[in-house]
Amino acid sequence: MDEIIKLVRTYRFADAIDERIRLAEEIFRRIEPDLRLFVYSSVSRDVAEDALQETLAAVAKSLKKFEGDTPKEFWAWCYRIARNKLSDHYRQKAAERTLPMPPEEMLRLIEAAQDTPLSPQTRLDLEYAMKLLTASKPECCDLLWRHFVIGLDYAEIAEEQDLKYDNVRMKIGRCLEEAKSLVA
Amino acid sequence: MVLHEFSVAYRAALAKQRTPEQSLDTVKDAVRDQYEQEQQTKQTPTVEPESPTKQPEPSEPEP
Repeated sequence: MDEIIKLVRTYRFADAIDERIRLAEEIFRRIEPDLRLFVYSSVSRDVAEDALQETLAAVAKSLKKFEGDTPKEFWAWCYRIARNKLSDHYRQKAAERTLPMPPEEMLRLIEAAQDTPLSPQTRLDLEYAMKLLTASKPECCDLLWRHFVIGLDYAEIAEEQDLKYDNVRMKIGRCLEEAKSLVA
Repeated sequence: MVLHEFSVAYRAALAKQRTPEQSLDTVKDAVRDQYEQEQQTKQTPTVEPESPTKQPEPSEPEP
């Protein structure tokens, strides 16, 4: 069984407050970076930190109610809570959303986290990926980011943006082709 | 797929970053709040519903 699911199940049956806090700390050390990525790329930076803290509190308070069995279900559940918390901000136009940090900063962060320096080919690939995202129109950048980087599937994006599944699938395909042609 | 490669590298980099103390404090506070609420719910005595008492049957009207 996946480690995160084991921890969440153990948390569900934990009674003592100390045990709950220890488990919650372990769980959130693992999921906070992904939720941060999701929130920071969903709302403008000036409100993102407050939105993230609200989301973390909401997930922590509901953790005992999660009854799924798989990591996929767990992440879908977490993102649903995050979306509910962010619903007011979602009314912002997609164009107002931004990448969570400037592209150069993202590349620096990736390089700093490597145990060995990036190979020239990997570096080129990462730079190409960043170019694809930044060359796209804001709406496309947002869709490509949510699908390829955050990892939301077509159905999740469709639910989030109140669109049809096929509509999202086609839009993402078109955005990718467009981005490729802009970078070529 | 370069975007996927980027996603993996970026997530790995984020995961290596230390989780900010502010986030962990928020989580601990939320867990404590939830725990206290549960304790209060446990302690609140449940109000027993009134036992249905048999209503006296209406007496037959005298002829």
